[in-house]
Amino acid sequence: MITHELIERIEGEAVLDFQTDKSGRVQEAAIRFLHFRGIEAILEGRNALDSLVIAPRVCGICGHSHLIAAVRMLESLYENAGYPVTLTPKAHALREITLSCELIQNHIKWLYLVMLHESGKLLGEEPPVALKALYVTSQVNQLCALFSGQWPHSSYALPGGVTCDPTHIEVMQALKILSEVERFIEDEVLGCGTELFESHMKNDTLGTLKGDFGTLLRNFERLELLDSGKSHGRFLVLGNERIAMAFDVRSNAQPDLVSEDASQTFENGGKTYAKNALYNGEFYEGGPLARALVQERAGISDLYRIHGDSAVTRLCARVEEMVLLCAQVRQLLTSLDLSQRSFIPPASIETISGSGIGIVEAPRGSLIHKARIEKGRIMEYSIITPTQWNLGNGPSDNPGTAQKAMIGVESIAKASLIFRTFDVCSVCTTH
Amino acid sequence: MPSNPAKLKVIWLQGITCNGNTHSFLNDPALGTLLETIEFIHHPLLPCQKTLKDLVKKVPKSDVLIFEGAYSAPFERAGVEMRTLLPALAHKAKHIISMGSCASFGGIFKENDPEHISGIVFDKENGSGPLKAMQEKVITLSGCPAHPKWLSFVIDMISAGREILVDEFRRPKELYAYLVHNGCLRNEYFEWKVDSERFGTKEGCLFYAQGCQGPYTHGSCNKILWNDVSSKTRSGTPCVGCTEPAFPKRDLFTTKTYMSIPSEMPLGIPKRSYLALAGAAKSFHIKRLEERLIDDHA
Ligand code: SF4
Ligand code: SF4
Repeated sequence: MITHELIERIEGEAVLDFQTDKSGRVQEAAIRFLHFRGIEAILEGRNALDSLVIAPRVCGICGHSHLIAAVRMLESLYENAGYPVTLTPKAHALREITLSCELIQNHIKWLYLVMLHESGKLLGEEPPVALKALYVTSQVNQLCALFSGQWPHSSYALPGGVTCDPTHIEVMQALKILSEVERFIEDEVLGCGTELFESHMKNDTLGTLKGDFGTLLRNFERLELLDSGKSHGRFLVLGNERIAMAFDVRSNAQPDLVSEDASQTFENGGKTYAKNALYNGEFYEGGPLARALVQERAGISDLYRIHGDSAVTRLCARVEEMVLLCAQVRQLLTSLDLSQRSFIPPASIETISGSGIGIVEAPRGSLIHKARIEKGRIMEYSIITPTQWNLGNGPSDNPGTAQKAMIGVESIAKASLIFRTFDVCSVCTTH
Repeated sequence: MPSNPAKLKVIWLQGITCNGNTHSFLNDPALGTLLETIEFIHHPLLPCQKTLKDLVKKVPKSDVLIFEGAYSAPFERAGVEMRTLLPALAHKAKHIISMGSCASFGGIFKENDPEHISGIVFDKENGSGPLKAMQEKVITLSGCPAHPKWLSFVIDMISAGREILVDEFRRPKELYAYLVHNGCLRNEYFEWKVDSERFGTKEGCLFYAQGCQGPYTHGSCNKILWNDVSSKTRSGTPCVGCTEPAFPKRDLFTTKTYMSIPSEMPLGIPKRSYLALAGAAKSFHIKRLEERLIDDHA
């Protein structure tokens, strides 16, 4: 039987076409995205610096990642044109801090607005608006805005650094907010200190966690989904360390091996606006799980050895990343040297021609911006978003990452929940 | 004890959007209090009574319809085209809020198909959008995105039954009579024509070289701060003019000049007066404004 399921309460909407057997078990699942906005075309012909204003508008929840990808793309363009751009450690650290804030708020929203809510609904227990989570995400975004001026949609990073010139007062405010966020994660999300959380991962005893994450895992357990959702076991990180991992073999990942495939789109008679992103011709998973595994972070690697890339490991990776990012932001804030310059002016953009690539680890995985400019004007612009990796829609003999994870799940409703473990974003996927 | 007034019933619908207004709205630290006065019949992310599927099946009445994103007639939500869905919801709504610059004027996404994409009442500055006949009940909250406090202000005014004074684009004057330039910490540098020679400093005004559009942009960004703490110009970023129908302009990080005078005058300032004033101001050298504010950061 074929069923079309509209997926809401994601960023935008998606349609899943399920093929099920007599018992309702999922045999095949196709993913369709029906909206398209044409950001790449909007950028073409403009001044290259305008990308710092337009590109964040790809996505309201991860626009800052798009800003950083765009600015790194421009810096690589300068470099390739023979005008290397220097960033002070301060400018670099500020970008890392604000970028991390975006990831943290994203993960908290995903946990409360999407996962706890949808898993509860399936169990017939609809939780109320998670005001405490929204309050804490507004604080995380405030921390970001102390430096970036606003969230969402700031444009405070430019080739050569950042526009802000913070003082100790901002740093102090930021540290206070961070303490509150850390407290929220320990008291509300985990229900224990971060060290105990580590040992729960190691000992595979996460089910006993008292916090809201424990509730989520128990919801999954009651739905018998903890060990569902296995995909290809291929992982990719391009933003920082550039590592690909397939069947536990790690290799240095090369951006040259990335391709986009339009075979499933309307363009070619398909049913979606989303192009697939492939590495070395194959679907790879990106995002927190991929990042934890390629960095060989202890807790998640332990879980992966026992449960593979199933729901429990994938859910936990996003939560573990919140903890890790808070620690990193703290470290960056406390070691900021405010006497360094925020911005070192590069050559005028009008003198620059060539191509560049900027890659960022965004909340959902590796985000790539590529462009070719001539004398400071954008000739071509191409964006590959993280969700294209995870939510790509392959033919039935070669399913994409999320597609594969849904196959074999007992019902459509449960498969839709597994789909959401990937942190679905339709606006990014189709940009 | 006075009985609690009934909660306003609100529908939040999205056209062609990045979801920026949705996430901006979630940043309101007073969201909990706001939710005591409104209830969402539908919202794209928050728990609500009706899914999109329910919404299109039987179009409900509402007190407030919030529309986010640009309008395009054939664009679909839950399989129903906007040309059908938006007017149907709008007719049954007492008030309509166009949330963000896409919904207000077409915004960024209009750039992809300028002929067919517009705001709900205005297409750039022309009042030719699909809801122009009902414009009396529309409040424009332009901005990319709109500030969450701007929305709660409008909702509070509606629930208190107060009249909202609006400008020619139906933007509340209380929010948009200011310019972004008002309250900017760099105003003194503007007055004395001291430009910020480069990005990344606290000193200088971003108007003369870096493209700041604060002097021609209506918005209270430097009064009602972003995320309660900052604004673009406070963090050294030039204002990009995102509340105006002309957004997004081009060459956003440079100021067009004619014989080293900005080619566009600050709003309402005649060119001759500006030139006279600028000449005089420039002839002063004010040491305080030429130095760094905090020395040990040299
Ligand atoms: S007005 Fe700006 S923030 Fe709002 S939907 Fe459009 S692009 Fe996004
Ligand atoms: S930076 Fe912009 S908003 Fe601030 S004073 Fe200068 S022109 Fe006005």
